[in-house]
Amino acid sequence: MKYSLAILSLCALPAYADVDITGNVEAKCVIQTTKSGVYGNPIASKLSTTPADGGVLPVIRFDVALANYYTANITHPTSFSSSPALSDTVAWTGSTSVTQTSDAGMSGYDAAKVVYDNTTVFDLTVAGSTWFSTASSATYAASKPFVGGVYTAIVQASCVAK
Amino acid sequence: MLQNKLIIFFLVWAFSTHAHEMTPAYPIVKPSHVTGVVKVDLSLFNSREEIKYYEIGLFDLNWDSIPFSATYRIIKVAYQTRKNFSVYIRKSDMDEATYVCTTSKVKKQLESKTLVSSRICSRLDGMPA
Repeated sequence: MKYSLAILSLCALPAYADVDITGNVEAKCVIQTTKSGVYGNPIASKLSTTPADGGVLPVIRFDVALANYYTANITHPTSFSSSPALSDTVAWTGSTSVTQTSDAGMSGYDAAKVVYDNTTVFDLTVAGSTWFSTASSATYAASKPFVGGVYTAIVQASCVAK
Repeated sequence: MLQNKLIIFFLVWAFSTHAHEMTPAYPIVKPSHVTGVVKVDLSLFNSREEIKYYEIGLFDLNWDSIPFSATYRIIKVAYQTRKNFSVYIRKSDMDEATYVCTTSKVKKQLESKTLVSSRICSRLDGMPA
C-alpha cells in the first residue's frame, strides 16, 4: 500500500521538459521594391522619372543581415521593355543614389559607389537597410515627339554575394 | 477617429513589404543521385505581390551562362510563400560556376513606368576570406 502511494504520487507530479529555442543569423539579402517609378512627359520628346519632370523615382530597399557579404548592383534601363513602334533611336541617361539609410555607417556608400556602363555597384559594408533611387530619362532622337502609347522600362536590382 | 484611421492606413502602407529573399548566400554543394552531377539546395521567399514567377540562372565570374538543370527553370512562387528548390550542376562545370541567381519576372504594364526586376545571387565558390 505504502509503495503504491509512493508510485502514484510520482505519477501525479507535473512533467518538465526543456524546450530549446534556437535561431540562426546568416548572411541574407532581401530586396524590397518600396516604390515603382513613373515616367513623366515634360516635353514631347522626353520621358523622365525625375520629380521635376513630373515623374516618380523608383525606390528600392536592400536589407542585409550581416555586413560585408553582399553588393547591391543596380542597372538603369537602356531600352524600353515595351513601347509603341519607334522608328528612330532613343538616347538614355540614368543614375542611382542612396536616398535613406538605417545606420550612420552607410553614409559613405554614395561616395564609394562604382559605376560602369549603366550599372552602379554599392558595397554593403554595414548590416541594415539602405534605400536607393534610380533616375531614368529617355529622349527621342532629334527632339522628335514620342509616339503615343505606354512605355515601360526595367530597373534591374541585384543583390550579389561577394 | 479619422486621424487614427489615417495613421493606421499610413502604418500599413509604410510597412507593407514587396520583398524577394533567397537563402543561403553560400550554399553547400552536395552530391546528387546522378553520377557526375552535384546539387545545391536553395530557398526563395516571395512577398512581392505583383510577382508570381522567378527565373533561375547559373553564371560564371564574368556573368556568362552555364548549363544547369532544375525541375523548373521558371518557378511559380505565390505571394508570401516559400519555395525550396534544387539546382543540378555538372561536376565538370563547378570550376567555373560562381553565381546561382533568381530573377523576378515582371508583367507587362498598362501605364508608362519603370518596373523593378529583383535578382538575388548566391555564391558557389565559398565565403569571402
